[in-house]
Amino acid sequence: MASFAVTERSWKALLQQYGLFVSFLALCLLLSLATDRFLRTENLLNVLRQASINGIIAVGMMLVILTRGIDLSVGAVLALACVIAGDAVRQGWPSLIAIVLCLALGGSMGLVSGTLVTRLNIPPFIATLGMMTIARGLALSYTQGQPVTGFPADFRWLGAGTLLGIPVPIFIVSGIFLLGYVLLELTPLGRHVFAYGDNPSAAHYSGLSTRQIVLFVYVLSGALSALAGLILVGRLNSAAPTTAEGYEFDAIAAVVVGGTSFDGGQGTMWGTILGVLLIAVLNNGMNLLNVPSEFQTVVKGAVIALALLFYKAIR
Amino acid sequence: MSLSLSRLFRRSTVFIFLLVLVVFFSLTTNRFLVGQNLTNILVQNSHVILTAVGMTLVMLSGGIDLSVGSVAALCGALSAGLVARNGLPAEIAIVLGLVAGFGLGLVNGGLVVYGKLPPFVATLSMLGVARGLTLAYTNSRPISNLGDAYNFWGRGDVLGVPMPLIVWVTVVVLMTYLLSQTRFGLYVYAIGGSEETARLASVPVNRVKMVTYGLSGTLAALAGVLLTARVYSAQPQAAVGLELQAITAAVLGGVSLFGGVGNIPTAVFGALLVGVLGNGMNHLRVASYPQQIIQGVVLVLAVAIDMATQRIGGHKSKRGSSS
Repeated sequence: MASFAVTERSWKALLQQYGLFVSFLALCLLLSLATDRFLRTENLLNVLRQASINGIIAVGMMLVILTRGIDLSVGAVLALACVIAGDAVRQGWPSLIAIVLCLALGGSMGLVSGTLVTRLNIPPFIATLGMMTIARGLALSYTQGQPVTGFPADFRWLGAGTLLGIPVPIFIVSGIFLLGYVLLELTPLGRHVFAYGDNPSAAHYSGLSTRQIVLFVYVLSGALSALAGLILVGRLNSAAPTTAEGYEFDAIAAVVVGGTSFDGGQGTMWGTILGVLLIAVLNNGMNLLNVPSEFQTVVKGAVIALALLFYKAIR
Repeated sequence: MSLSLSRLFRRSTVFIFLLVLVVFFSLTTNRFLVGQNLTNILVQNSHVILTAVGMTLVMLSGGIDLSVGSVAALCGALSAGLVARNGLPAEIAIVLGLVAGFGLGLVNGGLVVYGKLPPFVATLSMLGVARGLTLAYTNSRPISNLGDAYNFWGRGDVLGVPMPLIVWVTVVVLMTYLLSQTRFGLYVYAIGGSEETARLASVPVNRVKMVTYGLSGTLAALAGVLLTARVYSAQPQAAVGLELQAITAAVLGGVSLFGGVGNIPTAVFGALLVGVLGNGMNHLRVASYPQQIIQGVVLVLAVAIDMATQRIGGHKSKRGSSS
């Protein structure tokens, strides 16, 4: 009986991942036929570089969604952490300290969201919508609406540097994916995240400290958003208070395309990696085919809804 | 006993807060408690009030609509474009805009009811889609030259009463009647109270929920039209963040995020509270960025108070612990 259930489950998981992989390949094939610019090395590297920013955010978003939550504040948290850290480094703080400050700021904003969710029982989308508005307002107030620009090379290294000819962001995102995989699949904490998402009450009555699990995922999401921000501002050499607006859409799209369920407790890191790549290729393809940027939002919104409907249908 | 106390608190908080704010702004700025300014508050917040009414309908049935700002912008732009580009009479263009809003609301409803998507995800997707369509339709530029017949809805008056005020008062009266005196209203409360029980009592749950999202879309569209007419042009970035104000208004007005509790008149006072806050901060010359921070804080506080009073009342949050 039990083994039967497991077989059926893994069969469906196989279908999900297989279907995702096939559609990813189909999209790549389509794009290489539609435009000869797609398969160039510089373009593919560009795709990976862009995917790295969304990929890092998506790992945090995935963990939050696994606990039945959502984090709408990722873009605003990124902006606030980066304008403050960017300003600090321009005022002569050592880059390393500014980087640590940036991550700590991201983590603390996640801590606030997580506290609102766990202590005050505020629904996650409201708590993070509030955090989004507050963080964006703080970023705009702090900079008076002006971008912070001109950073030293070592501060920009995370976003603009290369290692063995490969952009540093690609190493970082690979590392984050690996850590995320290890965390989810091989550690007790990862098991607890799944257990909580699967059934919060059961997790609570099994003696898990559910509040700490939920707090952890929001802190992680905030810190990873800040890390993604360091890559972004490193590349652009500029931290604007309005930067990363709408990044929550890309991250949510990647996670749900990757098969993570809003009912909690269901999802794989492989799925999220494929989801991130698929969204990155989709964005890149729309740019190469000169799809107006307005329609790109339309497409992404539709992709989120369609992916969710698809998974509902095959589950 | 504790239940009725919590109800009393729920219903009176908005009035207490409103009174406190009015007193505070009257003392701190001498331009607040002036007849013209109070009329301004009633007119300039028409779009917040209309979307708060729609949000209340959706929230009462246990859902949420994050797309109201984008839908307002899209439908306002559409009606403006039909007048300025296609030369349609203003009234027909406005009606078509409202129909579009109803349609977009039905799409939201369909995703929630038949697609079984969580409401905030379905309407978040719509938020992105509708904003993108707005930018595409307007080419990211304002649409103006709407003519007097269109602008009348935002700037005109009948016997000295401003049109936006007439529109929202009419809507509030109609929707309050719909909720409190009709079978449909009863069904909305029943579904919000317990969707499963309502289904077992053979309430047409799916259809009722579709209608609540459809009405929310229509009212958002109407809000967009009034906003467009008031500034004589459809702005591609109009009503960004309106969902935040509408949700804040409804929650301040005692509408529960978990459905089944609340009513339209107090939600309107919630919207006025949001409006008074914005107006007063403008008079105190608070810059727009800090205002944004305060809006976020007010939303979180309102929901936190709502959750706390629910606990006092012995209600247990439905999403918090189990399901």
